[in-house]
Amino acid sequence: MSAFQVVDLTRFVPELLLGGCILFLFIGDLLVRDERKKRIFLTALALAGLASAAAAVIPTFWGNVQAALGIESYATQDIVAAFSGQVAFDPVATVFKILFLVITGVAIFTSLLSDELPDRHMGEYYALLLSITFGMFLMASANDMLMIYLGVELVSIVSYAMAGYRPRDKRSSEAALKYVIYGGAASGVMLFGISLLYGLFGSTELTTMHHAIVSWASRGELPVVDGVIATAKLFPLTVLLAIVFVFVGIGYKIAVVPFHMWSPDVYEGAPTPFTGFLSVGPKAAGFALLMRFFVGLFVADGQNGYAATDGFMAMAIDLPLPAMIGIIAAATMTVGNLAAIPQTNVKRLLAYSSIAHAGYLLMGFVVLSVSSLHAVIFYLCIYFLMNMGAFAVCQAVRDRTGGELLHDFRGLGKREPILAVAMVIFLLSLTGLPPLAGFVGKFYIFAAVIERGGYWYWTLALIGVLNSAVSLFYYMRVARAMFLTEPLTDEPLRAKRGYLALSTVLVVPVVVLGLYWAPVSESIRGSLAFFRSQPMSAAAHPSVVDVREP
Amino acid sequence: MLEQVSPSFLLFVPIALFTVAGACGVAFSRNIVYAAFSLLACFVGMVGLFAFLSADFLAVVQLMVYVGGILVLILFAIMLTNKISEVRRSNPSSNIVMGGVLMIVLITALLGVVFGFPWTVGAPQPFAATTETIGRAFLGSYLLPFEVAGLLLLAALLAAVVVARKEMTPAEQDGKGGTP
Repeated sequence: MSAFQVVDLTRFVPELLLGGCILFLFIGDLLVRDERKKRIFLTALALAGLASAAAAVIPTFWGNVQAALGIESYATQDIVAAFSGQVAFDPVATVFKILFLVITGVAIFTSLLSDELPDRHMGEYYALLLSITFGMFLMASANDMLMIYLGVELVSIVSYAMAGYRPRDKRSSEAALKYVIYGGAASGVMLFGISLLYGLFGSTELTTMHHAIVSWASRGELPVVDGVIATAKLFPLTVLLAIVFVFVGIGYKIAVVPFHMWSPDVYEGAPTPFTGFLSVGPKAAGFALLMRFFVGLFVADGQNGYAATDGFMAMAIDLPLPAMIGIIAAATMTVGNLAAIPQTNVKRLLAYSSIAHAGYLLMGFVVLSVSSLHAVIFYLCIYFLMNMGAFAVCQAVRDRTGGELLHDFRGLGKREPILAVAMVIFLLSLTGLPPLAGFVGKFYIFAAVIERGGYWYWTLALIGVLNSAVSLFYYMRVARAMFLTEPLTDEPLRAKRGYLALSTVLVVPVVVLGLYWAPVSESIRGSLAFFRSQPMSAAAHPSVVDVREP
Repeated sequence: MLEQVSPSFLLFVPIALFTVAGACGVAFSRNIVYAAFSLLACFVGMVGLFAFLSADFLAVVQLMVYVGGILVLILFAIMLTNKISEVRRSNPSSNIVMGGVLMIVLITALLGVVFGFPWTVGAPQPFAATTETIGRAFLGSYLLPFEVAGLLLLAALLAAVVVARKEMTPAEQDGKGGTP
């Protein structure tokens, strides 16, 4: 393991800018006295921090995409692991970083508008929000179990406090407490899994583990550790146990069955702007981490150091990993959708819907092919637009009526037509109806699963399609409340202009991406390369795992 | 059988049993004060394990931070909380059957793995000071995790303040002249 080099910091600029912005927010909190002005000032400061980080990420992203498209002046993609190989800087991490920055930007805007967050505490709020973003960056780029754990904990610990942010609110405190207990247990189990992995491979680096697994798969023995060549029948079972334990920690972050219990209570109790963020940001980061973990460990090396990414390597299929993930995905979709049907609280309904969406996204990991990973990232980009949009409408209604029950949505079609129409579009897109963006996203995922072929995969896709049909039912209950029931009052809602603007801004891409999605889809396709280094014995030079089609 | 047992194994077993017994006490005790003192046993057992593995620095840190600091804080929190012994269980444990099945499966698998797998055992280390190595690792190959842990602690500190702060109504604020 090489030591730290100063040049590594040049790749770490976006993270450094975020960290600096967190500190500036503390100072900025003390500079302005008037609370209303302070709120606007701090929002501007946080957005400026995000913008500067984005300015540092976007050129890398652009270069990667151009290189993938074969444009001459960008000959190679930027792929390297820095900081002693603990953090990978590769196109996949970059595309996720951009997604996280956009998500955080929208969350900051919804937080600015919200009445649930008091003016006087916005400094801490934004600082904590940006710390979560920092943690998500680490989750998307970690190449070492230690960094993975630190990233997950940074996101989790701060999220506990954010869930309990509303002062003097019992539900908010309950949400925070449930989240802490669940999260503590999950991260303990994950840590135990990491300790097993370390015991197996003598290293926390994903690449080292991968080479040991490859060596096992090809020769039936583990590489030399301290002069001992280990051969053991129990190796697959031990790896499986470790993977299951680590998956508990990640599964809790993305809220898949059976680790989903916390999410409805937390989503309901947390301040709405944070709920919107939680339902997309940490979830996307969890999926990024899952991708990095599975591709890092279980995707075979192809020729010339390029990966023959066509699903899990044989060793992992012996482990029944695809079957296990498939069953979890199917259970997650079904439980999420069925539990959403009787809900009367829209935030809770969206919580179950976001569990169901974790199930759809997890389907992509059963296949783990080029097209499925592409589909997962693409769907995350679209899911973020529609889900945050739905939560923004929810928040606008809550700010005026004081509640978020279906009851409070009654007659919204008359009282605030723009919001109501936007909400219907978000919900239809979440269902996956054409011609909206949600349809395209779901289509890619189902297509990737069906493409693999075999009854097993077809059944899984069928379960996904049936679930989408079920989801239409409860999404339309919200639409029915807004348009078909008599309003309690005909008075206009007079929602803040910001909400109208935001929901319009989010509706436009949901509609446009449903008709013309090529640019987004292609730039994701161009960013599907993972870092991987050669086995220690072969060469010290890192090579590239390119999961694109040859 | 007996000749395979090394002296270090004889030393390890009591330390490990002591640690596990402490952990069980934390998990199963109905009285939270007893649970806190069982945690003491668990932490002290961890100190023993670190010392057993020749990790002198970690042993001392464990003793100072966990036993000396965190445990005392936990005890203070317990003593200062009103009616903490009057526990009203609002959420009784459920799913004993499923939990039991899961437990049996996991314990079987783990026992099989722990005793069946030929774990590579590092050569016994001479008992030498490890502080310098740890310091170099923190500022060398583990620099980034070290710094990120710093950020994590800062964020956790702030999060704790956010959770614990007492929110005042505007009227109370006016009365107290805006002091927090």
